[in-house]
Amino acid sequence: MLRRHFIAFTAAAVTALSAGTASADMPAPFDNPEEVSIALVRYLSTGDFFQAYLSGVESQAAALGVDLRVFDSRQDAALQADMVDQAIALNVDGIIIQHGLTESMKEAAQRAVDAGIKVVAFDVNVENEAIPQIEQSDYLLGRMALDQALADNGNAFTAGYVYVPGIAPLDRRDVAWKEVQAENPDITEAAVFGTLDNPIANSVANQARAVLQANPTINVVFAPYDEFAKGVKIAVDEAGLTDDIDIYSADISTADISAMREPGSAWVTTVATNPAVVGEVSVRALALMLAGDNPGASVVVPPTLITQDFLNEQDIKNMDDLGAKMPQFQHADVAMADWMPLPAR
Amino acid sequence: MNARVLDFAIKYGFLILLAIMVIYFSLAAPGFSSPRSAVFVLQSVAITGILALGVTATLVVDGFDLSIGAVATSALMLSAYSMVILEHSAVVAVILCLAMGAIVGLINGLLIVKFRVPDLLATLGMMFLLIGLQRIPTQGNSIATGMALGNGDVAEGAFSPAFLWLGRHRFDLFIERLVPMPVIIFLIVAIMIWLFLGYTRHGRLMYAIGSNERAAGLVGAPVNRYKVVAYMISGVTAAIGGILLAARLGRGDIASGNNLLLDSVAAALIGFAVLGAARPNAFGTAIGALFVGILLQGMTMMNAPYYTQDFVKGAVLVAALVFTFYLSSRRSGPGH
Repeated sequence: MLRRHFIAFTAAAVTALSAGTASADMPAPFDNPEEVSIALVRYLSTGDFFQAYLSGVESQAAALGVDLRVFDSRQDAALQADMVDQAIALNVDGIIIQHGLTESMKEAAQRAVDAGIKVVAFDVNVENEAIPQIEQSDYLLGRMALDQALADNGNAFTAGYVYVPGIAPLDRRDVAWKEVQAENPDITEAAVFGTLDNPIANSVANQARAVLQANPTINVVFAPYDEFAKGVKIAVDEAGLTDDIDIYSADISTADISAMREPGSAWVTTVATNPAVVGEVSVRALALMLAGDNPGASVVVPPTLITQDFLNEQDIKNMDDLGAKMPQFQHADVAMADWMPLPAR
Repeated sequence: MNARVLDFAIKYGFLILLAIMVIYFSLAAPGFSSPRSAVFVLQSVAITGILALGVTATLVVDGFDLSIGAVATSALMLSAYSMVILEHSAVVAVILCLAMGAIVGLINGLLIVKFRVPDLLATLGMMFLLIGLQRIPTQGNSIATGMALGNGDVAEGAFSPAFLWLGRHRFDLFIERLVPMPVIIFLIVAIMIWLFLGYTRHGRLMYAIGSNERAAGLVGAPVNRYKVVAYMISGVTAAIGGILLAARLGRGDIASGNNLLLDSVAAALIGFAVLGAARPNAFGTAIGALFVGILLQGMTMMNAPYYTQDFVKGAVLVAALVFTFYLSSRRSGPGH
C-alpha cells in the first residue's frame, strides 16, 4: 500500500520535475533537489550487469530529482582515484564508488570524507567506518543455488565446478561451495575448470566439452556466474546430455531467461539480485546520509531464487516480466525512508 | 649427417611433437582418444582457426591485422541485431556480416596503402573503433530475444533456425551427429586459402610482395591492390568466424574479441614452424590452431587450471618461433 503511494507520488514528481516543485515532502537538502549533485565513480562498466546497475542509479537519481554525474574509469584503478578527486573538486554532495581496488580507493575515499562529502561504496571495501558498504550478497547467491541443488539432487551427487580464483565475487561465492562440500561429504567434485577469456561463454563451452567427455559421471554443474552457466549449457547441448545434467548458477539477464526456458534446458536454477535494484539502493543509501540518516555500515540487497519451472509457469520472457511477476526482484525494501521517492515502474 | 638431422628436425619436429602429445594425452586423460573427443578439438579450434587463416593472408603480404577479433565480435553483434531487432532472415544476416567484414578490410587496406598509415596502427585504430561501434546501437547491452528496446517495445525477433544450424548442426560420419558445421566451414576455408596462396598466380604474387615489395612492384605487380585484397580476405574470414560464434552462442554477446585475436595470431605464428616453412602458410596455420586446441583440450581433461594453460600456450609459441627464426636460419646458412 505504502509502495503504491510512492509510485503515485513519483509519477507526479516526474511530471512536475521540470517545474521544480516536486520536493515539498522531502527533508533538506532534498527540498531543493536540483541543487544536490552526486557522482558515480565506476571501475567496471562493460556488460549487462553494469549497464543495468547504471540504469538503476539513474532512475533513482531522477526520482529524487538530483543531478547525477557519471565517471567511468574503465578498469583503470589509478584513474578511478583521480576521478574521486575530480568529483571533490566539482563540489558534489555525495559520491558512490562502484567497484575498484581497496588499495587504490582507500585514500581517495578518505579525502572525499575529509572534504565533507558523503560516500557509499558498492562491492569494494574502502576500509572506512564513515562509508557504508552496499553489497549484493555473493555468499548468499552461491548458497541459495546450492541449497536448491541439494533439494533437487539429494546430498550425494557428482559435481563439476566452474571457478576462476582471484575474482572477488567469485571468491565469495566459492565460500558457499566449500561450505556445502564440507557439510555434504558425499558430494564428489569431479572437475574444476573455468576461464575468463572472452567471449567467456564460448571459451567455457570448449572447456566444459572436454570436462564432460573426461568425466561422464557428472550430473550437477555449479556455475556461479551466468556467462559460465551459458558456456556449460552450450557444451551440454552439444554433447546431447541435456537430460543427464543440471546447471545451477547465479545472476540473470534477458538472454539468460531465454536460455533457461529453451525446451529441455539443463539450466534449471539461478539466484540473482537485480542489478538495477542494487543501483537504486546505492543512491537511496547515499540520499539517507545526505538527509542526516544512517543507513548502517552494511546495506545488503537480498538475492532471489529463480527456477526454470517458475519462469515457464509464469511465461516470463524478459527482465521486465520477471520484475512484474516477482516483486521482490523489482524492489528491495532496504535503505528506505517515508519521504523517499521511488522510480516509476 | 648433422645437417640432415637438423633438416629433419626443422621439417618434421612440430608434427612429431603433435603426435607425441596426442599419444600422451590418450594414455593420461580418460576419454581423450575417441572420435567425439577429436571432433571436440576441431570444433574448439574452428573459430580461432578461421580467424588465423585471415591473419595468415595479411602476414603473407608482410602486413598485420589487429582488428580481426573486433571484426568477429562485431559480426556477432551485427547478426544478432539484424535477426533479433530488425527481424531479418538468416541469409540477410549472413550477407550483412560478410559485407561488413569486407568493408572493414577495404578501409583497413586503404588506410594502409593510400594514407600510408603503418599496418599495426591502422588496424589497432580499427579495432578500438569497432569495439565501440558494436555497442552503440544497443547502448552496451547484449542482444537477446525479449530484450526491452528503448521505446518501451520488446524485441520480438529471434535467431532463425537456419542461422543456428550454421553453428550447431552436426553431420553423421560413421557415428550419428558427429561432425559439426563449423568444422566443415573451417576445413573449406583452410583449403580455399591454402590453394589460393600456394597454387595461384595471385597467391604467389602476394608472397613476392611480402618478401620484397619494391621488387614486386618493379616487375609490375599491382602491390597496393593485392595488399587491400589481403585485408579484405582477413576481414571476411573474421566475419565468418563471428557468424559461427553467434550461431553457437545464440545471442549477441558484447565482447572485445581480444582473446580471439591473440589465439589466432598465435596459431598463425606457430604455423611458420610446421614443415620448416619459415613463412606464413595456410596448412601450417591450420596445424598450429589444431596444436593449441589439442593441448588445451588434453590439459582441461586432466584438470589443469586455466593459468597453466596460458603458460603452456606461451611456451609453445616461443618454441615455434625458435624453430622458425633460429633453426631455419642456420639451415639456410648465414646471409639468408
